[in-house]
Amino acid sequence: MGFLSTAVGWFLSLGSSVIVMIVLIILGLVFRVGWQKAVRGGITTGVGLAGLFLVVNVIVGALQPAVAEMATRFGVQKTLVDVNWADAGIAWGWPGVAGLIVSILVVNILMLVLRMTKTLWTDVWSYWHGSALAGFVWALTGGNVLLGILAGVLYLVAGSLMSDLTAKKYQEFNDMPGIGVPCGTTVQASLFAMPVVWLLDRIPGLKDWDASPEGIKKRFGIVGEPGVLGFILGVIIGIFAYGTGTGDLGIAKILGLGMNVALMMIILPRMVSIIAEGIVPITMSIVQYMRERFKDREIYVAVDCAVLLGHPAVMASTIILFPLLVLLAAALPGVQMLPIASLAVVPFWAGAVVPYTKGNVVKTVIVLLLYAIPFMYFSTWTATSHTAAYQMMGQYGDQISQGLKLASWDMGGDILGTIIQGVFHLFGFGA
Amino acid sequence: MSRLIVVACGAGINTSTIAEDSIKERVAKEGFSDVEVKRILMADMEGYLGRTDLIMVVSMMKIFRTFDVPVFQGMPFLIGSKQEKDVLLDKIVEAIKKA
Repeated sequence: MGFLSTAVGWFLSLGSSVIVMIVLIILGLVFRVGWQKAVRGGITTGVGLAGLFLVVNVIVGALQPAVAEMATRFGVQKTLVDVNWADAGIAWGWPGVAGLIVSILVVNILMLVLRMTKTLWTDVWSYWHGSALAGFVWALTGGNVLLGILAGVLYLVAGSLMSDLTAKKYQEFNDMPGIGVPCGTTVQASLFAMPVVWLLDRIPGLKDWDASPEGIKKRFGIVGEPGVLGFILGVIIGIFAYGTGTGDLGIAKILGLGMNVALMMIILPRMVSIIAEGIVPITMSIVQYMRERFKDREIYVAVDCAVLLGHPAVMASTIILFPLLVLLAAALPGVQMLPIASLAVVPFWAGAVVPYTKGNVVKTVIVLLLYAIPFMYFSTWTATSHTAAYQMMGQYGDQISQGLKLASWDMGGDILGTIIQGVFHLFGFGA
Repeated sequence: MSRLIVVACGAGINTSTIAEDSIKERVAKEGFSDVEVKRILMADMEGYLGRTDLIMVVSMMKIFRTFDVPVFQGMPFLIGSKQEKDVLLDKIVEAIKKA
């Protein structure tokens, strides 16, 4: 026992990027992708993870003093730093990730055999939403890996059930027979949209109000580009933080913050994509295996929510939503995170809602403004377990002990994820 | 001069990686040493459309617009059988030869 706990302790002390490399190489060998692909995938993912944390370090260093300055100047309590998809780092780096992958595969196959779901969860990358939640619960329960896995599996199972409800609509609207999108972030937006759109359609005047997606894209499209958006937001925060009385130094700081936020908006998704570059080839063999196993049943093959973004109304709605969401988060009392990195999730929400609004931009914007409100509050509420997860993985320990708190919409603000965390709170964890 | 194929998806993270992986493997097997396969964000598409070395767009989404170069819908890479994948790859190879 003593030896075992020493060995486990040593393994965990290796740090998440080394751990994920070893775990992926082992997974690759188990799934027989060949040792070359396994080693390449493991190292690539480890590098992506390390790079992701590097970028977050830069942005924390730039943003934290700025939001702190804003707080002392104006008394605005928006001090949580938005790291959004850095949560993919928790997802692939927390100690239980391999256990979670195997568990949800087994549970999904069982559910298919028992005909409890039609969704064949082949999109292994999208497990990350469940795995990030699992990481939060792992932190919340003081390091209980099994409870973490349980929470993650619950979330992913719910995702496959919600996918059953939305699959037909996605298939028709996007002309993609046979697919389903169990990714929780996305399908929750669809479920939310159903009653809201029904209601909007009964309000006279609003029913037929629309805006031309092409026109919006032509005029304001540049704001939809992550780098430009990041620079603008960084400069605005900079003006509030350093705007008056510091002269040239103030301007230098303002422009510098703009560049740093733009850097985050461009580099953060790139780092996530390096992680995916490592994981995807290793998990392709699982996909192949599961697909052949259920060849002759009517099933929905899970694909990433990115396939839903094709309709022009998606980007048009997103562009309108960006400033509105930032203003809303700034105005709502009790919301402590200004969304910056988290805005990256908005197009995916829009992709899930557009099939229900039939591509109507105005309705899509209204639905998502309402949908974002719980995310704003929930990301504030879950910041503690969210931050603890980073700390337990050995990231940003110094800054966190000095009061840094990290938050996000995807997965920190996720509605279902917050409910699951709430259940663990009810059972007395993390009280 | 090298020839460029872009694989576009919503975030340039997951689905385009899957397609890129399959296309790259086939391109290497066919021995097209001058063909570069690059995955991009749909939002970055405009920047690539002006490039003279662009020979093909593979989109992981439904396409609601037209392009000057051949366009392929990459869904079979995600959910197709091995046979459907090979059919699409054959078409892509044909188009590379013509470009």
